[in-house]
Amino acid sequence: MKIVGIVGSNADFSYNRILLNFIAKNFKKLIDVEVLDIKDVPMFNQSDDQTNSEAIQYLNKKIVEADGVIIATPEYNHSIPSALQSVLEWLSFKIHPLDGKPVMIVGASYDVQGSSRSQLHLRQILDAPGVNAVVMPGNEFLLGEVHKAFDENENLKDTQTTQFLEGCIKKFIRFINVVNIVESPEGMKDVSSTEDLNATGTIDTTIEGIDMKADDWVEQAAKATGAVEGDAYVKLNRGVLTVNQINHFLNSMPAELTYADSNNQFLYYNYKLEEDEMLASRNPAQVGSPLADCHPERAFSSVAWVIQQLRNGKEDVVRTKVPTHGPDKFVVHNYQAIRDADGNYLGINEYVQDIQPIIDWYLEQTGQLLTGGGVDAASGATTKVDTVSSATVKG
Amino acid sequence: MKNFIGIIGTNSDNSTNRLLLQFIQKHFADKANIEICEIKNLPAFNKPEDKKAPYEVQKLADKIRKADGVIISSPEYNHSVPAILKSTLEWLSYTNQALIDKPVMLTGASYGRLGSSRAQTHLRQILDAPELKARIMPSSEFLIGYSLQAFDDNGNLTDQYKIEELEQIFNDFIKFVDITNQLVNTNDSHKKKATNFSWEEN
Ligand SMILES: Cc1cc2nc3c(=O)[nH]c(=O)nc-3n(C[C@H](O)[C@H](O)[C@H](O)COP(=O)(O)O)c2cc1C
Ligand SMILES: Cc1cc2nc3c(=O)[nH]c(=O)nc-3n(C[C@H](O)[C@H](O)[C@H](O)COP(=O)(O)O)c2cc1C
Repeated sequence: MKIVGIVGSNADFSYNRILLNFIAKNFKKLIDVEVLDIKDVPMFNQSDDQTNSEAIQYLNKKIVEADGVIIATPEYNHSIPSALQSVLEWLSFKIHPLDGKPVMIVGASYDVQGSSRSQLHLRQILDAPGVNAVVMPGNEFLLGEVHKAFDENENLKDTQTTQFLEGCIKKFIRFINVVNIVESPEGMKDVSSTEDLNATGTIDTTIEGIDMKADDWVEQAAKATGAVEGDAYVKLNRGVLTVNQINHFLNSMPAELTYADSNNQFLYYNYKLEEDEMLASRNPAQVGSPLADCHPERAFSSVAWVIQQLRNGKEDVVRTKVPTHGPDKFVVHNYQAIRDADGNYLGINEYVQDIQPIIDWYLEQTGQLLTGGGVDAASGATTKVDTVSSATVKG
Repeated sequence: MKNFIGIIGTNSDNSTNRLLLQFIQKHFADKANIEICEIKNLPAFNKPEDKKAPYEVQKLADKIRKADGVIISSPEYNHSVPAILKSTLEWLSYTNQALIDKPVMLTGASYGRLGSSRAQTHLRQILDAPELKARIMPSSEFLIGYSLQAFDDNGNLTDQYKIEELEQIFNDFIKFVDITNQLVNTNDSHKKKATNFSWEEN
């Protein structure tokens, strides 16, 4: 599980940094924590938008990619430090990486109260609509009199404190799992049973008698059906092309294309790039596999939900943006229903595209400018885009 | 006539809290001299080892010391006060502690309906911390909701009812300043204790 730990202090020497480093070191077996500093983030200013600065984009990317976030906050004047406040303002202004993200709060301070008041403020701030993080309730980890808490190797001296902290971390792991289910489209309801993701059935076009999971499924299936290839001509609606021409044609599409049939079997993708160069990775050996073998189990419910929307005719296309490719790309996964002339569901055409070049071209051609997320007057929250975030295919 | 400092709690170029303080300055010109102070050019607080206030912070602190009272007008960011205002208060608490025992009145404007009520609650708690220890006037919320629509072209509040509410609070504040200064002067030992307070040597 990938966790980002944010040091809520910009001081050169910070006990909260030591605390996060201790968590990273001591609980390595449980979670993988990357500790991030906020020293380089400029002071927030509504009139001087620096959302695209390196320091903010770096934090943004790390948070988006993480399964959860631990924030370690000092207490300054009974509240959180301005440096942390400023970071949260940037992360709720034009971008919202903490939206729906599981967050755990810890804190160290000089007072015996150990940041109890700043933690309460932080909870209220994280709950504001522009931030909208999902903060783990209870489990306050307050480290008071912090100047006496660590030994010379920067380990917590008190074993009971360490044990309590371990309990909090374990609860946080469970909390992240629960949040992922709540944030999935159908909420707590697990809809994975509504779809046969293991493709155990057959449809008219299923090529039977071949192991779907075999690495050379394509070769075996082609042999069994006597499939044409190369320069053989195929009659299409409307036209005649050779198989090679069809391949070149599909590979020239400005998208990664995938065909999965109504039996939830992955039959085709326009193989032109290797796995690690693709926006949504696929590899040649996967073709023929049931969809269950192409997704991690935790995504089953979301995958099933998407297919249900298409199969039942509720939607013709379900779209989701995948923000993990950095600020210069806007990658969209489109799940488009394939239907016959009578509207019967035949399968999914998943096409994955970076639409940023198209947007840029449109703006250039029309001379229009993006105004960038207006502030919603009633709530102070900038508008957000809804996503079916966990429905993305992780190869 | 009282001398007050008005602090605009934001670094935004177009601030309705700035409008509000300017209105207060104009509207009560016969009752008090109010000097409006910007914090937008103060450096971000970063806990310097020498505990020295940068020049701009010291200048603000000197003005606060000389003033009879301070009016802070704060926007609401994420149910709290903007980082730049927090940073200013961190400087004051960490260096010269100019706000100790200073009578303070709070106002706030925000775009939403609630008019920064949550920001004011946070601000009260912050100003009450031992290194700040300002004397905040109790029971005196003054909030402008939907602040973008609250002023006319001349920067005057349009709602007569709101103006009356403000007048009442301002009159209270003038009395509060006198009462507080009496209290503080008879309680000098308390002041010494507060001035010497430091989290790291407590
Ligand atoms: C401006 C300022 C205000 C502080 N206010 C508080 C406070 O309200 N409560 C508290 O327990 N400690 C307070 N402290 C002391 C901090 O707890 C102490 O500096 C701590 O080491 C900060 O955490 P860090 O080491 O991770 O930066 C304050 C320190 C500063 C610089
Ligand atoms: C990062 C950010 C967070 C905000 N959060 C809130 C909020 O929680 N509540 C609210 O009423 N307004 C919020 N707003 C909008 C503010 O009401 C508005 O910007 C400000 O209060 C108006 O003050 P000003 O006119 O003096 O700048 C937020 C604005 C920004 C930039």
